Amino acid sequence: MELLTDGLLALLTAYLAFRCMLAPKLSKTVFTFFAFGLILALMWIRLGAVDVAIAEAAIASGFMGVLLLDSLRDFSPSYSEFEDNIEQPPNQVAFAKRSLSQWVPAIASGAGLLLFLFIALQAVREVPAGGGLAAFAEAKLPESGAEHPVTAVLLNFRAYDTLLEVAVILMGLLAIFAAGGIRQFRKPSLPPAKDPVLRKAILIFTPLLFLFGAFLLYIGKSGPGGAFQAAVLWGAIGILLHLGGWRIFNALSRRMRRIIIIAGPLFFLLTGFALMARSGTFLAYPPAFAGFLILIIETLAAVSIAAALTAIYAFLTD
Amino acid sequence: MDHVFVIVIIFLLLNICMGLIRLWRGPSVADRLLATQLFGTAGMAVLTVMAGYSEDLTLLNVVITFNVLSIILVICMVQVRKKKKKETP
Repeated sequence: MELLTDGLLALLTAYLAFRCMLAPKLSKTVFTFFAFGLILALMWIRLGAVDVAIAEAAIASGFMGVLLLDSLRDFSPSYSEFEDNIEQPPNQVAFAKRSLSQWVPAIASGAGLLLFLFIALQAVREVPAGGGLAAFAEAKLPESGAEHPVTAVLLNFRAYDTLLEVAVILMGLLAIFAAGGIRQFRKPSLPPAKDPVLRKAILIFTPLLFLFGAFLLYIGKSGPGGAFQAAVLWGAIGILLHLGGWRIFNALSRRMRRIIIIAGPLFFLLTGFALMARSGTFLAYPPAFAGFLILIIETLAAVSIAAALTAIYAFLTD
Repeated sequence: MDHVFVIVIIFLLLNICMGLIRLWRGPSVADRLLATQLFGTAGMAVLTVMAGYSEDLTLLNVVITFNVLSIILVICMVQVRKKKKKETP
């Protein structure tokens, strides 16, 4: 019976991915992508990766959704200021006849992807019976300061990777700042909301998002959740307030914004170096303080990522 | 009892498939957005049933994540459309 639901999910995923790539209109592509994100979250659940499912749910349906919807309006004829951007109706787009030079790269990359899939399948089959490093990680779990294996791996055993992931978001923000220096890419910001229903909805959802983000951050110690998921929920607060016209991020002073965005990665890095001076290994937490250190690092990282996500939205629309 | 859960999950997934028609055809962006909201609700229901099926209450965290974030798309949509109306008359 489980095969039936899993098969249906797998079929839906492949079908939606196919439809998403081949949709003739941009709005169809965007909304098919939302549906794809939802089905993907269900897939992750069936595969037993609840952490990934939460991240997928938060990022695909929340943050990406807003960015995609916001950019969609640039392509709609009744809004866009730039005539070149406006999407052509599908029957007016001239279809060039594909020549051999266009087919060869497409077929080559398709073959490369198939080869990659084959290698991945081969690698899955070659995992030793004990589950590779999983048994080793499980044995060291009590020393890691976290009860949930995923959190232990992310913030203790492979903390270096997580540090780089936090830094990647910072780099993305820098790239957007660099591109946003050109006025033409910025949109005017929204006026403060006057509609009472909208104001009330935003005011109700802001504390809810904060509370549930904090819950996910704290529960990350013993179950699925953690800094990234909490950060997206907290970032959603900033985006929600900006959508309502309360531009909290722009209200902060320039220096304050920089401090908030940099605080998480900086503290992570400094902790790493301090522990290196103490024990000789980068980011080797002493088992007695591990839980406490992980909680502080996670909180600061969540605040920084949330601020970075808000900054991406605020900067693009200001 | 297990079969009931599976049948409900399949029924909800078929619901999502039906919603795809509206998403694909929907003449305006608002129709598509509402189809997406239907997916969100049906997806949450599937997750809740799955939580009962596998007796894993952490799945409810995913449900709440979907739930609290579902509002943001609607508000974004409403604000964007409001701007459009102001520009065109």
